[in-house]
Parts: sequence; C-alpha cells; structure tokens
Amino acid sequence: MVSADIDLSAQLGKLRLTLPTLMGSGCYGSGEEYASLVDLTRIGGVVLKSVTRHPRLGNDAPRLVPVAAGLLNAIGLQNPGIDAYLKHDVAKFADRPCAVVGSVAGFSVDDYAYVTERLAARDEIDAIELNISCPNVAHEGETFACDPELAERATRAARGVTDKTLIVKLSPNVTDIASIARVVEAAGADALAVINTVRGMSIDVERAAPRLGNVTGGLSGAAIRPIAVLAVWDVARAVRVPILGQGGIETARDALEFILAGATAVSIGTGNFTDPRAPLHVADGIRAYLAERGYTRLAEIVGKANPEFRGGVRA
Amino acid sequence: MPALETLQSVHETVVCDRREPVPGIVILGCRAPKLARDVAPGQFVMVVPPSGERVSTALGVYEAAGERVSLMLVVVGPRTRELALLDVGDELAMFGPLGNGFALDALGGDVALVAGGVGIAPLLLPAERALAAGARVHLYYGARTQRALVDAERFAALGAAVSLATDDGSAGFHGYVTELVLRENRGHSALLACGPSPMLRAAGAVARALGVRAQLSLEETFACGVGACWGCVVPLDRASAQAPKFPAAPPGEARTYVHARICKEGPVFWSDELRW
Repeated sequence: MVSADIDLSAQLGKLRLTLPTLMGSGCYGSGEEYASLVDLTRIGGVVLKSVTRHPRLGNDAPRLVPVAAGLLNAIGLQNPGIDAYLKHDVAKFADRPCAVVGSVAGFSVDDYAYVTERLAARDEIDAIELNISCPNVAHEGETFACDPELAERATRAARGVTDKTLIVKLSPNVTDIASIARVVEAAGADALAVINTVRGMSIDVERAAPRLGNVTGGLSGAAIRPIAVLAVWDVARAVRVPILGQGGIETARDALEFILAGATAVSIGTGNFTDPRAPLHVADGIRAYLAERGYTRLAEIVGKANPEFRGGVRA
Repeated sequence: MPALETLQSVHETVVCDRREPVPGIVILGCRAPKLARDVAPGQFVMVVPPSGERVSTALGVYEAAGERVSLMLVVVGPRTRELALLDVGDELAMFGPLGNGFALDALGGDVALVAGGVGIAPLLLPAERALAAGARVHLYYGARTQRALVDAERFAALGAAVSLATDDGSAGFHGYVTELVLRENRGHSALLACGPSPMLRAAGAVARALGVRAQLSLEETFACGVGACWGCVVPLDRASAQAPKFPAAPPGEARTYVHARICKEGPVFWSDELRW
C-alpha cells in the first residue's frame, strides 16, 4: 500500500473533510494568519475564532501563562461582534482552500440562536461550532456546557435555525461529560467537539497574586491530553454522532490516541503554537500508520481501541 | 513519508555558531538566507522548542548579515533553558520574520537607543541602518551588573556613542538606564527602546521629557506569534490611528482603551499611543 492512496477523509454530519485535521477555534485566527507558514490545502479546515452578538474588548492582559507542558489562557472572547464580523470579515473566508467552520459563543439561549442563524446563512461558512464551553468569561459562557438543561436549550435553539453541520463543543469541567453529550446529541447536534480547555490558574509567588488578568483561565496543551482522551472514550460510549477529538494534540501518535478512542477527526490548537508544522506532521503520520498496518481508510480505525464505541455515525 | 512542504517563512536550519558571553546569555547563529535578507529592524522570529510540548519562543533578531542571522537569549525558564543547551550542529526550526519593526523613516539625525538587558538584541539592526543613513547614534545600555552588558563594544565599533548603566554600579552610571538618558539630556531626534515593561514605561516618560516620540519594542509571551490567538495584547489609546480596527467596550464600561496584538500590530509601538 502506497501511503498516498490512503483515504484520510472524515465526515462530520454534512461536513466532508478531505483531511481529519481541523485547527481549533481561537488558535488559528481565520487561517490567513498561518498562510505564510503552512499550505492550507494540507489541513482539513479551520474553526474560526468565536463570535458573539455584541463586540467584546476581551480580558485585560496578561492573557497567557506558559506552564509545564501546556498553556493557560484567558482571552475573554475578544471579537468585533456579529454585525461587524459579517460586514468586514466573513467575505475574506471564501478563498480558503480548506473547510471553514464558524464558531458561535453566547450568554443566553437567544444569543446562540441569533448569532448562529446569521453566521450560518453565509455561503463562506461550511459548518457551525457551538462554543457553549468558554471558561474565560466570568463563568457565564461555560454555564451552558455544565448544565444539561442549558446545553440542551442552546443546542436546540441553534439547531432550529440552520441545516448546516452543528458541532457542539463540550466542557471537561463537569462530573459526567457523557451525560451532557447524550443530551446535546438528542437536541440535534451533528457532532461533538471534545474537549474545550480545563479550568486552571497560576499564581506569581513573588507578587503573591494571580498571573492572569482574568485570575482564572483555561489549560490547553500536552498537559490535558490524557484528560481529553478519556473524555472522548467516555463520550464515544454514550453517543452515535461523530466526535471531534481535541486537547493537546501535537503529533500523529497523539491524534491516533483520540481516533482509537472514538474520534472521527481531530482538532489541533495549542499544538500550532509549539510548531506550526504540527498539522502536517499529524496528517502524514496518520497516513504512514495506516499504510504500515494495511488499512486503506482512516474510518477503519475510529474507535478501534474502545470496545463499547457506538459507531461515530448518526443513529 | 512525503517531504514537508512548509512555506518560505519557515526556516529549518542548524546552529552554526554559539557564544555565551556570560553564563545564562547565549547568542546562537544559524544560516537562514531568506530570513537574513527579509528581516526588518525590530522584527522577531518564533523558535520551535526542540523537544515540543511548550509554546515557541519569540526572539528578536540580533544580527542579520549575508546568509546568517543570530538570536540572543537569556535563560529565564524551561523554554530558554532548552534553547541555551543547543550547540553547533544542532537542528533549529524557526519561523518569521514576524511583526512590525521600528519606523526607520522617522528617526531624524540623532537617534537614542535605550536597551535593558537582552533588550539590546533588536537594537543592533536599527543602529546599523541609522548609522549607514548618516545619523548619529547614542546607545544607553543598562543591565543588573557589568558582566551582563553584552556586546556594548560592538555598537561602539560601528560608530555609536555608548553610555552604560548598572543596577549595582559595577559599570557606568549606578542606577536605571532611563535615569541616565534623562541625566545626560542630549538632544535626540528619536528614541528607540527595548527591555522589560517597567523600563519601557520609564523610557516613554523620558522621551516625553526630552520632547521626542519614543518607539518601544515590547517584550511579552506570545503563543502563536502571528496574530491568530489574541493572547499578547496591550491597551491602545482609542485616539490612536490603529484603534478603530479593534472592538471597544460597550458604552458605560470603565475601560476606555482597545486591545492591540503585540505580535501583530507590534512588537514596536509608539509610546504615546499606549495606555499602560
């Protein structure tokens, strides 16, 4: 088997990815920022930075703290708001040579419906990620992913306003992520992104004060990978919709852990900050892994390590 | 496995020379012809950590001549410690040049350079350009102690006047380098500064007192380095030329500034446009 003949495509609802590598929301801008570093035809797609109903100034600096094997961030959803975004930004996404997934954040059920409807109506947007799990907006945002009823209502509201693929991003900061996943699936999600960042903080002992301007933040990077793999494992036993696995992926081996646990595709976020070549390494390495073992399609190994994997397809 | 088709801004190179003028300050040279040709004074690169699992490290380009560039780093944590261990022949990947450097068309005939510690590094290229353009250059260079004043003689050899300051009085003026600028009170047409944030704030105040505009090269932790993640922001005055590009707080909120990205709109900013 020549590795070039391997089919790495992945299906998330109606969204067909030629490569199983999406770039995580908030980490890749709109793709343009990385276009001088990476050939964007060699990534599956980019998940855009989350947009909200109103403009947001974002959190005060510092917004980043590098920590052991990871990164704490608290950006606070800085964005121009949906009006300015549609007017000035979205048209530029038309020429991206990869999938473009819009990301919607909100502070009420109505926000999610309103912003999803307006963003999904644009042809430049191939699918919608519902970010119900941002941990860095004074707990308001993440409430949705931590409360089954709110998660259900936000998902149903967004589902009601678009037929495009709806990917709902779940929070790891819950007792039982599988139960939230079931509710969100039942409310009409086409796919689940697992996981958003893990809440954390860091204190500057010299100043005896928190390091982040927002005090608390979200932890990403290699440090959270085992947490994320377990979350995918648990969710893959609970739902039939495809899972977008994410959390500390830097290499093909990392990505394969998620895929073998039950992820149909993966998302790379902080891994790009370690090395912008990471998405290329991941895709090439997965291809080589499959070729060495005689597989012809990535789909053949999705959930292979997880005996109770329920399918990765819509029931 | 097919070869990686990374684009021209990614430089996969090896360390070709290494100097450690004092323990903990390391200058790594490498062959990167395109970077050496393209880099503008004040721009930076992101250096990929050799063993992964940490974010890349932003370093201002120190020297750029012919096909060689060099980077100066001070060991302050695990990422810089790992880079400091690199030796001649070791692989090194970096991407850039990134960011907006110094506005060299606004220098005039008498340029003050104000450096704190390894903030000296991004000031060499503007010194070379200013001197080549016929301007006078005066370097004010401060560090904790005499041994940490690295390569001051290099600037002198180029033709710059050099005044030194140390926190412990072991060389030059005993005190902050920004106090030294004020004390010498020379007539300068421009002031460029790079160093830790408190020093840069003081440099902005000194420039105001001397009646010149200051260009400050900000030091900050970057994650992406390319303007994608919005992690490295600085408050910008709403009246500044760039401010309309960024979302403002809603009416009624106390914060009356906007957030610009240090890696993208900077790392060099006009001091009088910052609200920090």
